[in-house]
Amino acid sequence: MGNAQSAAGTDRKPILKEVIGILEDMTSDWDLEFSGGIGPDTRLIGDLAFESIDMVQLVVAIEERFKRRDLPIEKLLMEDGRYVDDLRVGDVAGFLEEHLGAAECG
Amino acid sequence: MSRTLLIGLDGATFTILDPLMRSGVMPFLRDFVAGGVRAELLSTPNPLTPPAWTTLMTGRNPGSHGIFDFIRAEERGEEMYFTLYNSRDIRCETIWSIASRSGKRITSLNFPMMSPPPEVSGCVIAGMVSWKHLKRAVHPPDLYEELKRLPGLSYKEMGWDFELEKKILQGVDQKEYEEWIRFHIKRERHWFEIARHLMRTKPADLTAVMFDGVDKIQHICWRFLDPAWTPAAPSAWERTITDLCHQYFRELDSYVAELIGMADPDSRVFMASDHGFGASTQIFRVNAWLHEQGYLTWRDPGLMDEEAKKSWERRLDSNFVILDWENTKAYARTTSSNGIYIRRSPGPGRPGIPAHEYEPFRRGLIEKLLQIVNPDTGRRVISGALTREEAFPGTQSSHAPDLTLVLSDNGFVSIKNITPVVQSRQEVAGTHRPEGIFMAGGPGVKKGDRLPAFAIAGMAPLLLHSLGLEIPADFEERLPQAAFEPSWLRAHPVRLGEKTRSPESPHSGRGPAPEESEDPVVLERLKALGYIE
Repeated sequence: MGNAQSAAGTDRKPILKEVIGILEDMTSDWDLEFSGGIGPDTRLIGDLAFESIDMVQLVVAIEERFKRRDLPIEKLLMEDGRYVDDLRVGDVAGFLEEHLGAAECG
Repeated sequence: MSRTLLIGLDGATFTILDPLMRSGVMPFLRDFVAGGVRAELLSTPNPLTPPAWTTLMTGRNPGSHGIFDFIRAEERGEEMYFTLYNSRDIRCETIWSIASRSGKRITSLNFPMMSPPPEVSGCVIAGMVSWKHLKRAVHPPDLYEELKRLPGLSYKEMGWDFELEKKILQGVDQKEYEEWIRFHIKRERHWFEIARHLMRTKPADLTAVMFDGVDKIQHICWRFLDPAWTPAAPSAWERTITDLCHQYFRELDSYVAELIGMADPDSRVFMASDHGFGASTQIFRVNAWLHEQGYLTWRDPGLMDEEAKKSWERRLDSNFVILDWENTKAYARTTSSNGIYIRRSPGPGRPGIPAHEYEPFRRGLIEKLLQIVNPDTGRRVISGALTREEAFPGTQSSHAPDLTLVLSDNGFVSIKNITPVVQSRQEVAGTHRPEGIFMAGGPGVKKGDRLPAFAIAGMAPLLLHSLGLEIPADFEERLPQAAFEPSWLRAHPVRLGEKTRSPESPHSGRGPAPEESEDPVVLERLKALGYIE
């Protein structure tokens, strides 16, 4: 697993922390019933009440944060050619660790 | 040079505005037009909000700026990967950026495709953004908190409601009409309040605000607005809905009046719509037709557990096309693009149309499409099927649909797996038309004239010239000079400048305007555009 160092122009904070930061900022006005604090096991739909448009915006926020538009996001959102039903924050961070790191190695 | 105010009225048409002005619902607009000029403003080939407003903002057509639809879709395995077009997809510089780097301050409110917002000199609040994401659609970022503190402002009511938008396609139950109209009355008030607040506290050289409820209400309530379809003996409910529609337009008229009243007396004011509107009388189910013709195969859902079935239905409800890709040669991805995509074979023995068969296949498809007849009327359903080269020439043309359909009633196609393929509507619905509106008034603008129609790409040079700026050499339309008094034009001649900058250069800088160029290429371009002899 890599870390945020692989993202061009970003600092060295662990990617999971970055993803949590993006989600905390994004959801701060949402009046969510979820109050446990966002962590790797937080579910985007089940806990943060994500709708499809929120996923689109999360992808934009991630791409902006890591200054990358070439991430194969469909690999995160789709499995065997079908959309996955729900994602955990850790899944998103894991995907970024894999693909930001891979890009750096490649 | 005078300040400039642009008021966008999404989907506005003189078919509706003229009767409302005559009947006294929009008295300010009536007087404004009498003291200025008006014209039909011709939209993009598929008259749709994202490509058309982006053309207004860039002076370039979709084949150049790259925005063709609300939704950007790509084939991925057995599924379609959907996302939304956003500001990062615009391949041309916008007037906000050009004005900003030329030393002007701008305010841009509620224009689509502006999120993430550009870092211009001034304020930007992007349109077509859910309230949950408005925070990230505001520039400068601290403006968001400032707006939340404005008395009476509800940021939750300002945002784009995607569930409500779906109803434009699905139709609205009778009991939902009132809620629909009231929602848009409230939304417009919020955008007006923000425009007023920023004009007071952060005056800009170019202030632009777009009101999009016009489009939304016309979609659902066309039969209450167009005198050609208004019920002759309306029921009590129909009278209520008509009155509410008029309330919307009456309030809009008052907002326009107040914003223009607040502007400097020497400001020039322009009003524009991204497209016009008219009645849709039939439904054409393009994917069902392609299936009947053997070009498209629906995916067999097979046996599914309860959860998979719900997911499948949810996607169908959200207008996903779920196809058997191996056995599909042509299909439509979205309703709004009115486009058909032809699947090209990646190699011998692979599914899709081989490269050497593409042209004859596309020609054959066009011929068949143009023969489709509505059995109820005996009339053709499709009046045009434009190739991407015809509709959207430019560097981004390859991203456009292979064919863009123009339906005989200018409606949008249905992409659902429902028959019959062609069906007359029980009640007319509002749909887009190419002929939008243009109105202008202020110093140098002619008074009381009707101008010839001109293309929406002409708005960008118009706005930059009003700001006293050069017109970039790569704009696709010339300045609509007929809008101005000849004496004013002689005193304020067109100055053609350098080409626009790449949108990928970091927000195109904020430096001073480049010196007027005597580059022979620029001079040639001036001649070509008819600015010089």
